[in-house]
Amino acid sequence: MLTHIVAIVILAIPDTAGPAAKRSAWKNPTVQNELASYTRTFNEMGIAITQEELEQRVWSAAATWTAWMVVLRTPLRPYTDYAGVRQRWRMFVAPHRHPAKLHIDIKIDGQWRPVYVARSPDYNWRGHQLDHTRTRSMLFRYAWKAYRGSYRHFAKWIAAKATHDFPEASEVRVRWYGFRTPSPEEVNEDRIPKGKFRSTLVFTREALR
Amino acid sequence: MSVVPRSLAGRWARWVAFVGQRETGECLALFRIISGLALLISIGVPAINGLVDGFWVDLAYGGMRPLKPGWLVAALGGATPATAWILVLSTLTAGVGLVLGVGGRVVALIAGQGLMALSGLNTHTRGSFDALLINSLWLLVLAEPTVTLSLPCRYKTGKWTSHQLVAAWPRYLIIAQIGVLYFFTGLHKVSIYWTPAGGFSALYYILQQPSWQFTSMHWLARVYPLTQLATVLAWLFELTWPLMWLALYYRRHPERSGRLRGFFNRFRVRSIYAVVGLSMHVGIAMVMDVGPFTLVTLAFYPSLLRPSEVRLAARGVGAWLTRRRSGSSTN
Repeated sequence: MLTHIVAIVILAIPDTAGPAAKRSAWKNPTVQNELASYTRTFNEMGIAITQEELEQRVWSAAATWTAWMVVLRTPLRPYTDYAGVRQRWRMFVAPHRHPAKLHIDIKIDGQWRPVYVARSPDYNWRGHQLDHTRTRSMLFRYAWKAYRGSYRHFAKWIAAKATHDFPEASEVRVRWYGFRTPSPEEVNEDRIPKGKFRSTLVFTREALR
Repeated sequence: MSVVPRSLAGRWARWVAFVGQRETGECLALFRIISGLALLISIGVPAINGLVDGFWVDLAYGGMRPLKPGWLVAALGGATPATAWILVLSTLTAGVGLVLGVGGRVVALIAGQGLMALSGLNTHTRGSFDALLINSLWLLVLAEPTVTLSLPCRYKTGKWTSHQLVAAWPRYLIIAQIGVLYFFTGLHKVSIYWTPAGGFSALYYILQQPSWQFTSMHWLARVYPLTQLATVLAWLFELTWPLMWLALYYRRHPERSGRLRGFFNRFRVRSIYAVVGLSMHVGIAMVMDVGPFTLVTLAFYPSLLRPSEVRLAARGVGAWLTRRRSGSSTN
């Protein structure tokens, strides 16, 4: 009993293993925005530090801490792996201020037509699959650059489903609509920030055969 | 003369007595039933929606992406459609077994290993609910969760409930686990948006993310101060959850003296935390798509009560239902 409690506490201690261990992920606008906000707060408190210095210091401290945690957890690996007592509780750690919505279009007679737009009641083709919690978890990741390869696999998979469901479609387009989430003031003043499409992938029916 | 210091021997004796405590199995049974239902939703809904071949089958066999099989998937022949369906069906069958209380610990082990194999196979489709549910299923392997509110109980005793005693320590582990979850998730919240410097705006902005939404949440801008209050409450609730452990400890021995003990028991700290936690999870389920997470977490809450309190609550609900039924038949 005591061993189990000690194990789950050690396993639950925060670290930056996983996607956060990639320096490229720290260049995401959401992460940079966090660092900028912290830099501003420190400066207001009279601590002189630039955003670059803060990022470097946090990165070094996190890397050292995570390396120590890996050593501490090594004896627990068999219990973690075979009993399934993982304890990484990174839930709602930070709001993602620059998320993206998935858009899927099909081309019929030379015209693009939307069939799926995330969270749209009007364009909800295969919504039971694309809106499922597990798919949401996947798509949240795929909007990040680090998951480009997996996004391509997914896009091809869903495009093949589209050519099956819409035999009249000659092409399928899969893309992200990236945007900054609006502040309460922006919503109240009807100044919703405009986003833009990115990571556009187009598949012809022939290419999917 | 003993070489063990007397104080150490005394502590060891107290520990043995603590671990040896026994109680009736209502809390563990509810934990089993709710966790079983959560497992059925967690794997059953993707299966019904035709996602098994996309999620848990390798790209080479028609899946969404290349997968790295764990030991169980490799032993079953790799991430093929046959393996995926064997795992899905055996895990679902184990889920039904858990709800009915059939098969004891073996069923919990099959369920846990099945869910672990599937969620580990495609880590992109897993959520925190998988990790917590796998933990729950392991705790059910350690416990004796089928002595009451189960088919075997009905078969053996002719009644759905039994007063057979089981080890109490698995329930203490359940309480430890939910505390670890809350406290460490609170520690992870290092974003400026969770702090006064970020205007306690975390929940407002999290709810603007499409990945959690059912529909547009722009309307929250009109009640922004409420979202700030909810941010503060959620953060404090998580970070101060270890106080709940203290509250539960103090409630075990209300006869002992102490001002802090008196304060905790007089102000019903345990009830306050339980009500805030339940409200928070129900609120989250109403405005966010978190899948089976709400159910997985709520399975832990009956263990915050003692089995005698669960029985008392059940009798209260039963009496209320009887009054309602007799009231409606009179009308």
